[in-house]
Amino acid sequence: MIKLPPIHIGKLSMLLAILVWLALLFVDLVRLFGIINTIDSGIAAEFTLILEILFFLSVYSFYNYSINKNTQNDFLNLIWRAASTGIFSVGFFLLVSLLYRLLGDSKLGQEPFLLNFFYHVKFALVSIFLISSSLLWKHLILYQKSKQVVKQWQAYEFAMLVAMFFIFFNKNNLDYSFLFGMVILLGLGLVLSSNLKWIPYLTFKEKWKSLLFLSLIISSCIYLFSQTLEFSDSEVYPVNLTDNLFLISLFGFILIYAIFSFLVTLFNLPTSSVFEQKLTEAISFQRLSQSIQPGENEEQVLDILMDSCMSASYADAAWLEMSAYESGSLLQDRSIDHETRNELAELIGKQKVAQEWAAENQTEKLSPITLRLGHPKFESVLLVPLIINKQAIGKMVLCKEVRDGFNKEMVNIITTFARQASIAVENHRLLNQAIQNERYQEELKIAQRVQKALLPTKLDHNGAFDICAYSNAADEVGGDYYDTYKLDEDRFVFIIGDVSGKGTSAAFHMAQMKGIFQSLIQLDLSPAEFMARSNSALGKCLEKNHFITASIFIIDTQKNIVRHARAGHVPTLMHSFADQKSDYLAIDGLGLGILRNKQYINHVEEKTFKYQPGDVLVLFTDGIVEAKNEKSLQFGFERIRSLLEISHHQGPREIQAKIIDSLHSFVGGDGLIDDDYSIMVVKFNEYQKN
Amino acid sequence: MISIETQKENGHDLLILRGEVDASNSVMLDQAIQKLLDDGSKSILVNGEGLEYISSAGLGVFMSYLEDLQERDIDLKIYSLTPRVFEVFKILGLDQLIPIFPDKTSAF
Repeated sequence: MIKLPPIHIGKLSMLLAILVWLALLFVDLVRLFGIINTIDSGIAAEFTLILEILFFLSVYSFYNYSINKNTQNDFLNLIWRAASTGIFSVGFFLLVSLLYRLLGDSKLGQEPFLLNFFYHVKFALVSIFLISSSLLWKHLILYQKSKQVVKQWQAYEFAMLVAMFFIFFNKNNLDYSFLFGMVILLGLGLVLSSNLKWIPYLTFKEKWKSLLFLSLIISSCIYLFSQTLEFSDSEVYPVNLTDNLFLISLFGFILIYAIFSFLVTLFNLPTSSVFEQKLTEAISFQRLSQSIQPGENEEQVLDILMDSCMSASYADAAWLEMSAYESGSLLQDRSIDHETRNELAELIGKQKVAQEWAAENQTEKLSPITLRLGHPKFESVLLVPLIINKQAIGKMVLCKEVRDGFNKEMVNIITTFARQASIAVENHRLLNQAIQNERYQEELKIAQRVQKALLPTKLDHNGAFDICAYSNAADEVGGDYYDTYKLDEDRFVFIIGDVSGKGTSAAFHMAQMKGIFQSLIQLDLSPAEFMARSNSALGKCLEKNHFITASIFIIDTQKNIVRHARAGHVPTLMHSFADQKSDYLAIDGLGLGILRNKQYINHVEEKTFKYQPGDVLVLFTDGIVEAKNEKSLQFGFERIRSLLEISHHQGPREIQAKIIDSLHSFVGGDGLIDDDYSIMVVKFNEYQKN
Repeated sequence: MISIETQKENGHDLLILRGEVDASNSVMLDQAIQKLLDDGSKSILVNGEGLEYISSAGLGVFMSYLEDLQERDIDLKIYSLTPRVFEVFKILGLDQLIPIFPDKTSAF
């Protein structure tokens, strides 16, 4: 396969332009030779004209390519390119005319071939200058593209293309049709010339430079035009190349746009500092809104705020006070010493307006105020509040040496700066808070996991009874506790406990309770003694207004007896198989941690009773009894009792499920039980004793 | 919701509770009792007629003052509790430590 080399449009069109130009030169010289020697060369004038159009098109295509390719298209560069081409052309013109002046009336000076050669070079230079400049103008005009401008430009290009061929009909006569075409093209050029939006983006210095370049372009344009007009009067050239609607109109367009640009740039000079100021403000805005990244601090934002506000108002000095920290604590100051600042602060404090301003509580009404001061150095100040989350967290004071130095625009822009900075700081704080909350959530999840591990996964029992238990915390962690312990082959302990309150504090107390219960349980104490010792141990570690309630059952499966004590805990429900009846075990007992002295033992009872197979014990916490439905009705003891009477013949798991299910349906579909609740169900079986 | 009102009668301070005492408002009860103690009260009578519910946090408030009251020899009595609220005091065993009376006259 033959691989075609990539077509290089730039080089190709340049080559074409040169070839066409050489052909043009050759054709015209041949024709000239024919005229001089009165031989008909047989070359029609149209042939030259076609070559001319080809030349225009190839130059156009070359410049179109080269300007688009050049990435460094800043405005000054573009104008400089046009200006340099102009200067070069003018320089060549001047050199040639100098040469002819030197030659004087010599033979060479009259040589038609040489004259024609120079004419063709001049023609080429003028065309290049005009086409390249117009393409550069195109870039400037289309700097801020809108559909309309693009269409206008396309219309202009099309009209120019038509103008190239106009010469075939017109034969270089300055008739009405020529004038008409010129008026149309100039009109289009005039419309396009109103697109000068690039000018404000030049800095002050760049504007001066562009003025220089534009004046060079204007003068070279005028000079070249006058030179071109001279050609048309001359009879030496067999075919006039330059009296062409296309070129003349281009002259007009280049000149009009250059003059417009020149004038607009000139008149923009005095206001360019304003535009530059606005641009800096826009950049400040961006910096203010972007400045706080996670992990960075607020001071950087305030730093930028100070700088932005100072440059926006041309302030001579400034400082920033944050009230959120210690009174009047200072974060930043600029071009002001401690002493002057205190003097100013005192003067500000004396002004009634400032006092009212400082006392204003409705922060949404708080806006910057300007003050006149009788200070020898600073005669006006601007107070700017910094409001975060409807709270004034501080103020910025801008000082100027001139009286009434802050105008409305400055105050407006500073107000927006301050708001932007406040938003940035607020966002930063919110983000930090969110991150912290996330961390707390994580910690709570860990706490939840740890607490779950405090409850037994396996409940001790033998064949004499079945047992199950369930616990649910209202928050991530809770204060409910249950446990079992195997004293020996026949004797088992069940415990249920509840810390007053709920949540994290309850969870910590629950962990303490477990520690104390687990160590006391092993001592094989009587239920009352167990409670008394627990009370004394817990009394030392519970908070003053916290207490714990608990119930303990010690089962002897050999003797079928239960020993029981209750410390302020909700009574335990027992179903008696013999009586076919469920009832709460009546026994007195004070909660743990309420009476923190030796007297406690007098406030706790102990009971021993026999059980039979088929009897059921239901231990639970007050979360179940006190669970409320939407009518504020409590689940209550009676409901649990009747539930057990109905379902006592079922296994402990079924009984437990029944109670929990009816608790949930009582509270309502999505009604939350806002306390921790736990339940333990024990059912005694027929048991073959060894 | 809770409303707490204090009255003076025959040298006793009456503390009239209405509504529900739970974890969110038990602080108010605490403040009310603390204020009576600060004002040098020697006898506090709590009227529980309008008290519909008391949570363990509310009971914790009464409990936390027991020792203090005993040391300073100040009387604390509760009367006219509804059966349900009385049940809560009884289950916890607080009725053994705080005298609870069925009505105002017996409490005086």
